[in-house]
Amino acid sequence: MGFKITRARILWVIFCSFKDEMTAATRNQVLSLYMRVFRIARGWQSTLPQNTEGERQYIVREAQTLFRQNQQLTDTESIKKCIDECVARIEIGLHYRNPYPRPIHLPIMGLATQKGRKLKAQQRMRKQANPVYLQSHDEDS
Amino acid sequence: TARDGDRARQRALCVRQLARSSARFSSGNIAVRAAAAPVLSNLRPFSFVASSQRTRWIEQTRITSSVGVFCRQYSDLPPLTLETIQQRVMYVLKLYDKINPEKLATSSHFMKDLGLDSLDQVEIIMAMEDEFGFEIPDGEAEKLMSPQEIVHYIADKNDVYE
Repeated sequence: MGFKITRARILWVIFCSFKDEMTAATRNQVLSLYMRVFRIARGWQSTLPQNTEGERQYIVREAQTLFRQNQQLTDTESIKKCIDECVARIEIGLHYRNPYPRPIHLPIMGLATQKGRKLKAQQRMRKQANPVYLQSHDEDS
Repeated sequence: TARDGDRARQRALCVRQLARSSARFSSGNIAVRAAAAPVLSNLRPFSFVASSQRTRWIEQTRITSSVGVFCRQYSDLPPLTLETIQQRVMYVLKLYDKINPEKLATSSHFMKDLGLDSLDQVEIIMAMEDEFGFEIPDGEAEKLMSPQEIVHYIADKNDVYE
């Protein structure tokens, strides 16, 4: 069948009041991506059969949380970044048959030294090293 | 015809074997008694119910018409009516946890009356797709804003007339 499944997160524009053309187009794009993720989750087959159900639920849950989290963004740049994140996760997940995002290592000298002076530069470095598919995740874990 | 004769002979064999084996196990079984007295009537199809507690037999029934022609029973879902569609749609909506079931009516708008946003509406449309088993394309899915519209759309797609 060739039914590829990936998860993607999409940034969701505020529903209601924007009359702007650009926002309507992104809104439709976001909604169709959301629907696409759900369709993917419906037909998801994992590499190990016992994980199929768990991964399906993970896909749905992840999409719901991330879309809700980014629901209120309004500036077009961050919206576009979220759309890119969603598409990236969809493609990567479909390709590797793995819905979970791949965490990355810290960049070299990426955490503050004992004296704490390099904090801002390191924050910038970590932010820059963050791949596109991990944009919505915090740095906690 | 010869093929019918073969089939009838096979059936007779099965019935006799069944009668022998199940007569040993459950003699009180009515079906066994019925099967234990096989009467083959002239290649006409007959219905036998084979049930035994030790062995698993599939029940076979054939509708016999006066001509003696086999009448097949194809399995299919019961035909949709407007009421059943509406009942199923309302049932799915009541199961959705973001909707208050008391406030739900057929003509209640998702966004204005029930206070959902478009992400919730997408989820509702997905649930409807799962329930009715056919895909709703994107452009039309975002126009369905109340249960009544969903019912009309599904009725249109499945050719259900009033």
